[in-house]
Amino acid sequence: MNEVNKNALTKPLPTPDGDSQALWDGLKQGKLLLQHCDDCGHVQYYQQGMCRLCQSTKLRHQAASGNGTIYSYSVVYRAPGPAFKDDVPYAVLLVQLEEGPRMISSLVGKNFDALDFDVAVKLTTGAISDEICLPYFELVD
Amino acid sequence: MRDSLRGKVAIVGVGQSPTGRVPGRSPLDLTAEATLNALADANMQKAEIDGVLTGNAFASSFHRFSVALSEYLNIQPSYSNTLQVSGATAGAAVNTAAAAIHAGLAETVLVACGDSLLTGMTPDMAIRAMTESRDQQYEMPFGIPVANTFAMTAHRHMKQYGTTSEQMAQVAVTFREHASRTPGAQKTELITVDDVMNSKMVTSPYHKLDCSLISDGAAALILTSAERALDYTDTPIYILGGGEYYSHEHIFLMPELTQTGAVQSAQKAYDMAGISANDIDVAGIYDCFTGTVLMMLEDLGFCKKGESGGFVEDGQITYGGKIPTNTHGGMLSYAHPGIPAAWFHFIEVVRQLRGSCGERQVSNAELGIVHTLGAGFSTQATTILGAGSTR
Repeated sequence: MNEVNKNALTKPLPTPDGDSQALWDGLKQGKLLLQHCDDCGHVQYYQQGMCRLCQSTKLRHQAASGNGTIYSYSVVYRAPGPAFKDDVPYAVLLVQLEEGPRMISSLVGKNFDALDFDVAVKLTTGAISDEICLPYFELVD
Repeated sequence: MRDSLRGKVAIVGVGQSPTGRVPGRSPLDLTAEATLNALADANMQKAEIDGVLTGNAFASSFHRFSVALSEYLNIQPSYSNTLQVSGATAGAAVNTAAAAIHAGLAETVLVACGDSLLTGMTPDMAIRAMTESRDQQYEMPFGIPVANTFAMTAHRHMKQYGTTSEQMAQVAVTFREHASRTPGAQKTELITVDDVMNSKMVTSPYHKLDCSLISDGAAALILTSAERALDYTDTPIYILGGGEYYSHEHIFLMPELTQTGAVQSAQKAYDMAGISANDIDVAGIYDCFTGTVLMMLEDLGFCKKGESGGFVEDGQITYGGKIPTNTHGGMLSYAHPGIPAAWFHFIEVVRQLRGSCGERQVSNAELGIVHTLGAGFSTQATTILGAGSTR
């Protein structure tokens, strides 16, 4: 079995790096930390050493409200490899956070009939290892 | 435009390996066979190749596929690179080869790619390999295949413009009709819109028949300077313009889900060629999914934003329509061996412009476009090709 074959059997586990360590630390405490630029006001989800818009390093972490809406979504029926076979079907969401950034996540549960564009969702987190909690979203009634 | 490469470089040879299910052949072997066929097509000896550009192969362990291919063929080029911009690699490699020839870095460049996604890896591994091109921290943990990124753009397009699943399905139906006339096509049995709608859902709104195939296969193009082109062929096909655009890496940082960097990529290519979309006779459009083609028809300028669904239903992407597209059948029906897939779009458009497509021939085809893209519309590369009359 080659490397690709072996890896395909396990779910990919994020490996925090210098840019992203704070994000993953925050998620372990149930917080989704966004980077706010003190120079230009830009808010970013993808963690960088500098502001993506103005390249300022004056970035401040602030927890997101957790409120968002569904910008787009797709329900996955054919798993992307054996590691996800037991999970299908599941809904991948492109969430529009109220602070501005968008992010990829997935829906808690399988209430696909209630899924629609622009409906409200709320952040929750779930541990997938001792070190990693992922940000998920659930529909707001 | 400062001394552009318009008309300075031509494709003088095209070749391919068998495609579809081709077991027991390594990606290098397939690519070498495609190369030999392209050399024969150009009446050229391998020693005349002094540049090699390739993509990488999932079913091969080589990181420098272009260098490994040169060794395999026992050639020693003075210019070589293995490009990686996902599905746009084909267009980027042709543009880059043309630029290298125009700049004097090489005289004759082999642009080749091959992979064995179907039999060199299991389908699960093939999908997983493509999945791994998504970010390991921000995307992949949620089980997002590349298909899913494209599906979310199509889904938003449906929401924004009222595009329907039936309209997307018509793309697959049309390309299947095209493939039925193409020797060597992997899928030739005609299908209906209902067949597409009734095929299994893969990632909504895409059904199985909205998705490209998984195949083995390789293809090769040989480019040389316009000065030398006529030494090899009576029908050189000239590079008239090239453009590319790289708007984002992550799908969540794509500026607009329903308008892509193909707008800028194509505009740059049109400007260099001195033409507009209306002038083009035949198109090769990267068709990883049906909805992808709809959005490209809009962004490349063949129809207005939001109107691609009706455009396709009206028969505008087949013979007699505004822009006959993927007359070989595309990745949806001809072959999709991964990165090499878009090489076949180039080969088909070259053959159309040569007037050598037989019963598939688009009448009076003189100007063609090939548009390749990848990674959830992150990467875009456009090439404008023309017969001798257009140079």
